[in-house]
Order: sequence, then structure tokens, then C-alpha cells
Amino acid sequence: MHERSAPTLKRDVISAAGIIGLTLLAWEIAVRFNHTPIYILPPPSAIAGKFWRNAGYLLAAAGVTLGEALGGLLLGLTVGIVVAALITFWTNLERGMLALSILVKATPIVAIAPLLTLWLGFGPLPKVIVTALLTFFPVLINVHSGLHAVDEAALALFHSLNAGRWELFRYARWPSTLPYLFAALKVVAPLAVTGAVVAEWAGASAGLGRAMWLAYADLNLPLLFAAVFCSAVMGVGLYVLVVVLEKRVIFWRWNVQTRGGEI
Amino acid sequence: MNVALRGVAKTFNGVQTPLVALNPITLDVATGEFVCIIGPSGCGKSTLLRLIADQLSPTAGAIRLDDAPPAVARQAQQIAWMAQNPALLPWQTVLDNVRLPQRINRRGRHPALDPTDLLRVVRLADFARAYPGALSGGMQQRVALARTLATGAPLWLMDEPFAALDELTRETLADEVLRLWHTFRPTVLWVTHNIAEAARLADRVVVMSARPGCIRDTVAITPPRPRDETAPETVAIIRRLRAVLRKSMTTA
Repeated sequence: MHERSAPTLKRDVISAAGIIGLTLLAWEIAVRFNHTPIYILPPPSAIAGKFWRNAGYLLAAAGVTLGEALGGLLLGLTVGIVVAALITFWTNLERGMLALSILVKATPIVAIAPLLTLWLGFGPLPKVIVTALLTFFPVLINVHSGLHAVDEAALALFHSLNAGRWELFRYARWPSTLPYLFAALKVVAPLAVTGAVVAEWAGASAGLGRAMWLAYADLNLPLLFAAVFCSAVMGVGLYVLVVVLEKRVIFWRWNVQTRGGEI
Repeated sequence: MNVALRGVAKTFNGVQTPLVALNPITLDVATGEFVCIIGPSGCGKSTLLRLIADQLSPTAGAIRLDDAPPAVARQAQQIAWMAQNPALLPWQTVLDNVRLPQRINRRGRHPALDPTDLLRVVRLADFARAYPGALSGGMQQRVALARTLATGAPLWLMDEPFAALDELTRETLADEVLRLWHTFRPTVLWVTHNIAEAARLADRVVVMSARPGCIRDTVAITPPRPRDETAPETVAIIRRLRAVLRKSMTTA
């Protein structure tokens, strides 16, 4: 498995770096060729320079945002999993809980974020809540599907063993939910950064969203883009972390795949 | 464990019209007997097995396992269930899969069958730490067989356990099952659509006819095991089973 994944990883990195590099190059050339003013669209070189000169400031802000994103992700994850488990154990709750969840999910976050700031202040708490609101729903839906995806044969086996609900959950339902959970995490982890940044735009005493907002007010577009770049990298980082974790946690899937259909 | 079916019938509530799956069936299986149930697909042989396993309830009639209803036998962990899909947990090692029946529902009485010994019995001792994904289909069914033994149940309900395997693996495993049956002496109800398999394994073969299912004929198989499929008496049995089966299909 390891001897196979190393060259694949190298190829993936080269491919990603190549495409991103070419995009940045095209951007640089287009901006210079058009003589686009720097307060409309700065070239990547200017953004990089700005980042370099303000690295301390941006990284400190990124740290705050990362904390809020992770906190919100954890809260959203917990709520999503707990609600999914509850409506699986007590099916009477299913309709009502799903209706409520869709209602919460359908509420425009942009409208809620300033309210939360008004109620809870400029600290990290409203950001954590906004991020949780944004992330719990995909987790809930996927984990709910996963908990119902145990195959009939396993259900018949556990029934014959007279397994209780908890034993069925522990030995069969939960492990077969993990692939669904990770599918949700891949969507939700980068989204958590977006959630934290959007919440910071609604008023914050620190964070990347605040840095963006201040730079925007100054028409300091290179700094604005540098902050955007930081949040994007953070989103990618969280996504990669999820992928790495997935391969470790759902190891049995990769075992089967690398065997190449010799069943 | 003896099995007694008295006028057991099953009708499913279809979308528009009720679907009669089984006409009343009466059958007795003695303790330690090996009975194969064969029949054309859709004859309700799996339904019959699921009724005995307490996975379905009969519409009419009574099922008694050692004079108790199936639910009682199941709760006392007296029923082992094995199907075409080995239903191994891919995230647990082979050994942990075999150990599963002894981990679940600990209130049930458990015989002292050591999972490691059981793996030796099915000749998979070297694979105790492997994960099911790394095993072939035949090996996976052998793990499922060891898991069946680990229940210590006196009644084995087998729903076409070898249907997905190739002919050679199927024959090897059938011999293995007979060896285990001789050692542990469970009562076995074995659903199959493979005539040669039934002739090789069973004390008695119950032939069912197509929907609605009912027992068409019962054929006792007396030659001693192991049975050679090319021996004249086995060939005669296979021929007879085939004739009964063909008749049961045309009159449906």
C-alpha cells in the first residue's frame, strides 16, 4: 500500500502545483498587460509581497479564525452526529427534527450573523455558532444515511445473535457510517473557514475576516487578497487533513481497493 | 434441537394484492438431523427459513423449536444464522469476527468454544489477524462458518451459504461442513438450489414447489458419507431429485 501511494502522491502534488502555478501566471500576465489599477485587481506578485511584509499580522489573524473554524466544526459535527443518532434510535423524532434542521439550514446566515454579534459580542462565540450552523446539516444528512446503510445480511446476523440496539450501533451501524461521515467532512471542513470569515465580517475584534474588512475599507486590495489567500490555504489544509485521517480511520476500504479485485 | 412445523403459512401484504408465499407446511426435523430444502427460485424456501429464524412471523400455523417458539430460542442464542453473504465486519480482524457472537448478548449462555481453536478448525489459524477484505470468497465463508460454530447454537439455519462460490470451493467447504457437523452434531436446515450439494450433504431432502410454496416431496438419503457424486447410488438420488424438482416446476 505504501509503496504504491508514494508515487501517486508525488504526481498529485505536481499536478496541483502545476495548474495553480499556471493560473497565477495567467493572472499576473493579464493584469500587467491590461494595466489594471492595483486598487481594482492586484497581480499575484504584489499580493505575495504584501503577505511577506505583513506575515505576522496575517498569521495571527489566521490563528484566531482557525480556532473559530475548528470550534464551530466540532460543534456542528457533534450536533449533526447526535441528532442523526437520536432520530435513528427514536424514529418518532425523525420528521420533526429533520423539519427543524432544514428550517435552520435554510435561514440566511448573512442575516443571522449580525444578530449573533449583537447578542453575543465581538468575541469568538458568535463565529463558532455561525460555523456550526453552516456545518451541522451536511453531517446530519450523511450520518443519518450512513446509519441506515447497514446491509441486510449484517442485520439478519445481528438479529440472530439477539443483539440489542446499542450493540448493533456499536458493532455495525457506527463503523459503516464512517465513510458517510468523512464524505460530509470533506464538504464541511473547508466550509468551516468560510463560516468563520463570514461571521467576522459581521463584526469582530480579531481574525482574517476583520483583516479583510479593514483592508477593504482602505481599498488596500493586495492586503485583502493576501488575507483571502490565507483563508483559502487554511480551507485546503483542513481538507487535506480530513483526507489523511480518512485513510487511517477507514483503513479497511483502502485495503480492499489496493488488492485490485482479487476476491 | 428438534424442529416442528404445524401448518405454517405465510402471506405478504403486497402493494395491491396479498402475496401468498407459503401454503400450510408441516414438517418435523429430528435433533441432529441434516435436512436440505431445495426448490425453484421463488418457492419460498428462504421465507420458510426466515420464519424459523424468527425474522418473520407466520400468518398461520405454529413453529416449535424444542417445544418453544422461535423468539425464545433466538433470545437464548440457540439459533445460528448463515447466508450467502458472509456478513463479516470489514473493520474487524478475522478473529474478532469469529468472536462476535460471544461478545454480543452476553446474558445468553455460551459454551466454551475458543475462537482461536475455531479458526484452527476451519483451517484459518494463520489469518487470525488479517482483515476480511484480504480473504477470498471461500475463506470468508469459512470465517462465517467459524462464527456460526462460536454461537454454540444447536440449530443451524443456512440460507444458500455457498451459492456465491465456485464449484470446487463449494465442494471443499461442503466436506468441511460435514466434518464439523459430525463433531458438533447440530440440527441443520440447509436451503440450496444445488441438487448435487443436497445429495452430498443431507440425511433428508425436502423438495418444494413454486409459489405458493409447499412441500412436493421428501427424499431420504441413506448412503453413508462421504458420498461420491459419481457413485451409482448417489447418481440415482440426484436423478430422482431432479425428476421431482422438474415436476414441481411444471405443475406450478
